Amino acid sequence: MTVSRVAGSTLIVLLYGFLLIPLVAVVAASLTAGDFMRLPPEGLSLRWFARFFQRGDLVEGLLLSLQIALVTTLVTGVVALMAALASQSLSRRLAVWFQIGMTLPLLIPELLTAIGLLFFLYKIGLGKTVLGLQIGHIVMAFPYCYVSIAAALRQIDPALDDASGSLGASGWQTFRRVTLPLAMPGLVMGAVFAFITSFDLYTVSLLLKPIGGNTLPLALFDFLTYEFSPTAAAAATMSVLLAFVGVAVIQKLVGLQRAF
Amino acid sequence: MQRLPRLALGLPAVLLLLVFLVLPYAEMITMSFRASQPGAMYGLGFTADHYRKVMTEGLYLDALARSLLNAAFITTACLIVSYPIAWHMSRARGRKALLLYACVASPLMIGVLIRNFGWMIVVNVDGPFNRALLAMGVIDKPMRLLFTQGLVALALVHVFTPFMVLPINNALRNINPAVLEASESLGVSRFATFWKVIFPLSFPGMQPGLILVFVLATAAYVTPALLGGQMVSLMPTLVVQTLIGTFDWPLGAALAVMMATAAMVVVILFSLATHRLMERVRA
Repeated sequence: MTVSRVAGSTLIVLLYGFLLIPLVAVVAASLTAGDFMRLPPEGLSLRWFARFFQRGDLVEGLLLSLQIALVTTLVTGVVALMAALASQSLSRRLAVWFQIGMTLPLLIPELLTAIGLLFFLYKIGLGKTVLGLQIGHIVMAFPYCYVSIAAALRQIDPALDDASGSLGASGWQTFRRVTLPLAMPGLVMGAVFAFITSFDLYTVSLLLKPIGGNTLPLALFDFLTYEFSPTAAAAATMSVLLAFVGVAVIQKLVGLQRAF
Repeated sequence: MQRLPRLALGLPAVLLLLVFLVLPYAEMITMSFRASQPGAMYGLGFTADHYRKVMTEGLYLDALARSLLNAAFITTACLIVSYPIAWHMSRARGRKALLLYACVASPLMIGVLIRNFGWMIVVNVDGPFNRALLAMGVIDKPMRLLFTQGLVALALVHVFTPFMVLPINNALRNINPAVLEASESLGVSRFATFWKVIFPLSFPGMQPGLILVFVLATAAYVTPALLGGQMVSLMPTLVVQTLIGTFDWPLGAALAVMMATAAMVVVILFSLATHRLMERVRA
C-alpha cells in the first residue's frame, strides 16, 4: 500500500517535472557565466543577454515581433469584444455554434491556415508584406481573445443590463459603465493571450514572412541552425519572460484566482 | 435591448474569419487543381495530376502513412502521460489546484519553438541528461539524441499534453462523487471502480482531447523540422519544402489537402467507433 503510494507520488512528480523541464532549461542556460551552453550553468551572469542585444538580426526580430504582437492585441481585443457582445443576444444553441466558428483557427492545424493564407494573400497582392503577416497573426490569436472575453461576459448577470436600462441609461452608457468594467478581467486575459500567441507564432510567420523581415522565433530558428550558444537561450528567455509578465499583469489586474 | 444592432457587432469578426480563413481554404483547394509551371508559383489551366501523383508515388504515400502512424503514437503516449496528471489535478482543491493548473498551463504560454529548444539543451551530448546517466553509470559514453525520432516524439508529447490534461481534468471533476461512493459501498474494489466506472465516465473529456491532439500532431511542422533534422520525411515537412523550397504551389496544396483529408477520415472513423460509448456515458 505505502509502496504503491510512494511510487504513485514519484510518478506524479516526474510527470509535472516533464512539463516544466524545457522551460527551466532555457532560462537556466541563458544565465550562465561560462562560454558554452551547459546545465547547470557555470556561474550566473547576464552577459548573454548583452550579447543578444548586440546581434542586429535578433534585435530586429524582437522589434518586429513586438510590433506585430501589439497591433494583433489591439485589433483582436476590439473585434473579439464586439463579437462576444453580439453572441449574448444569440440563443444558447446558436451561441455554442458561434463559439465553434470563432475558435476555428485554434481547432485546425496552424500549418493549413498558413498555407491557405500564403496563396490568398498573394492573390490579393499582400504576399510577402508586413500587413499580410499581421493579418495571419490576427487570425491565429483571435480565438484565445474571444474565448476569454465571452467567458467573462457569460458571468455577468443579465439583470444588471436591464436595471441600467430601466434607470434611464442609454445602450452606450450601460456598456461603458456596467458591461465593460465587469468584462475587464476577460478582456485583460484575452489581450495577454493574444499578445503571447502572436509573439510566439512560428509556422504562420515562416510561410508569410515579408521580404527581409524576420520575427524573433524565425530569427532564433535560423540562428540555431548554425550556432548553439547561450545567446540563443537568451533570445528564447525573452519569450519565457514575456509569459511571466503576462501572468503578472493578469495577477495584478484580475487576480489569478479569478482568472482560472 | 435591440437585438439587431447588437448582432451587428459580430460582423467584423465574422468578416475577418470569412475573408482570412474560409476564403484562403477555398483558395488552397483551387490551388491544388492548378497546373504546375517550373519557374513560377503556378501555371495556367486546371488539372487533377497532382492528386494522381500524390496517390501513386511511394514517396508521398509513405510520408502520409508515416505521419498518421506517428500522430497515432503521439496521441496514445499523450493520453498515458496526461491521465495521471489529470487525475491528480482533479482531486486537488483551492490553492493547490491553482498551482497545479499553473504547472500544466504554463507550457502553453511559451512558444513551441522555445520548448523544443529547451529539450535540445537538456539532451545535448554534454547536456545534463547525458551527464546524469554517465554519473549514474547507466551508459559509458554520451548518447546522441539530437536529430532522432525519439526526441521528436518526446517533444511533441510535451507540446500536446496540456491539450489532453485539461479536458480530461474537466470530465473527472464532473463525475458525481455519489457514483463512486455507491460503487465502493457495493464492495467493488478500487481497481474495478476505476476501470468500470471512472474511466468510462471520463471518456467525454478524453474524446475531444484525443481528436485535437491527433489532428495537431499530424500537421505539426516546427518540432520535426528543428529536432528531427532532415532524416525522416513527414508530411508537414514535405509540404513546406514543396511550397517554399521548390515553389511548386499546386503540388504543395494537393499534399496539404491530402494530409487534411486523411486526418479528417481518421477522426470521423474514430468518432463513429466511439459513438456508442459516448451515448452510454451520457445516459
